[in-house]
Amino acid sequence: MWMAHSSSPYGAKRIALICFALLLVALFLFPGQIQGLLQYLGGPVGYAVGIPLETIASIDAGIANRWEQYVALQGVREENQQLRKEMEWLRGQHSQLRESAAAIERLTALLQFKEQALPTMIAAQVIGRDATNRYRSIILNKGESDGIKPDMGVVTPAGVVGRVVKTTGVSSVVLLITDPNNAIAGLIQRTRDEGIVEGTQQGLARMKYIPLLSTLRDGDRIVTSGLVGGFPRGLMIGTITNIDKQEGALFQSAELMPEVDVARVEEVLVIQTSYGQSTKVAEEADSKGKPAP
Amino acid sequence: MKFLFYLLLVLLLVPLQTTLLPHLSMWNIKPDLGLVAAALVGLFAGELEGLLVGLSIGWILNLFSAGELWLSLLTNGGVGILAGFLGRQLSQVTSLSMGAGLLLVSLASGLLAAMSFQNLDMTQIWWMIQSIVLPQACFDGAVGAGLFWVLSQWFHVTRLRTD
Repeated sequence: MWMAHSSSPYGAKRIALICFALLLVALFLFPGQIQGLLQYLGGPVGYAVGIPLETIASIDAGIANRWEQYVALQGVREENQQLRKEMEWLRGQHSQLRESAAAIERLTALLQFKEQALPTMIAAQVIGRDATNRYRSIILNKGESDGIKPDMGVVTPAGVVGRVVKTTGVSSVVLLITDPNNAIAGLIQRTRDEGIVEGTQQGLARMKYIPLLSTLRDGDRIVTSGLVGGFPRGLMIGTITNIDKQEGALFQSAELMPEVDVARVEEVLVIQTSYGQSTKVAEEADSKGKPAP
Repeated sequence: MKFLFYLLLVLLLVPLQTTLLPHLSMWNIKPDLGLVAAALVGLFAGELEGLLVGLSIGWILNLFSAGELWLSLLTNGGVGILAGFLGRQLSQVTSLSMGAGLLLVSLASGLLAAMSFQNLDMTQIWWMIQSIVLPQACFDGAVGAGLFWVLSQWFHVTRLRTD
């Protein structure tokens, strides 16, 4: 049992109220500026918080690793993990090859090829999940100091994971593809129809704004269209599981099963430059006599 | 000494909330320790400290979340200051009243957050309230009540009204 108190001076209450009122007024009058300022100030704070965060994340990963290696079936698990990685890599390859085949057909007709450089990617580890329950996001152990910026795409060899939304010096927050606030330009691989892929509340994804005349069907694969955002064309997003075509509607939509199990993802790749950009960077580097990044 | 304690609290809250709590989550819901910490500081140390610690927690936790900054500052800072006021107004604070208070505050902040999502229709908002906001409010209330009980047993705090 605890007796409530009021030992603090009456002035403290006033100061607290005035501070809070001022902050509220500032937040509502200048939301962008205040957010920008606090995000800027958060840079150095991120370094300080990054130390315990990385330490605890590595302890956590160590414990999880020990558990998986010694308590769980060691051999089977390792083999399973290896096979899963291999399968993810092959899925990615398969998707890219299908995309390449479709692209070659179109490009052969056009007879105008442009040399494409591979995108530059940064490998990062997942060290945490969103601090709240309201967003589906992951925290990476790489940040501004490693060249990561907001809006960069995040992938695994199997497909798209999400998009960077915030960065501090040594960490970054990635909004997952399954979050309703995320939107990625997608393309149905077979029909070449475009749409917008958004997350759903249930933790899946949905492709919206598909043309009404599109002949999509269950099992069709959705890849990135490469039109907007930090993703090059042809990265696997997911597979259509259900089509929603309503009478009188201007567009149809489809539910997707994301290719990557974002709830279990541990290592990711951040796309620093897309195909087109990396070619430009390489050209600039060549003209300056420096190696491309 | 107090400053150091608050600094450690704020620094350790981030890894606790983002790295360790996901393992302890039930039905993918984890308690908001930032909210609980701000309420406890407000209750034990008064409204000014509650506000400042709440704002710091809100700001720093927001650096590691995809959420809106204003909401995080408003809820955590607001809880700190509100707990300070209530601690002054109530003659006795028990684990039960602490839990009930946190449940209500968490519910209010969750509803505010659900309403602030711009691209959700009413069905989705209702789904969010049922499956995220309500369970989290219960979770926050239970964790707050538990922590309050532990702290009050540990410190045997008895503070008297003066005004």
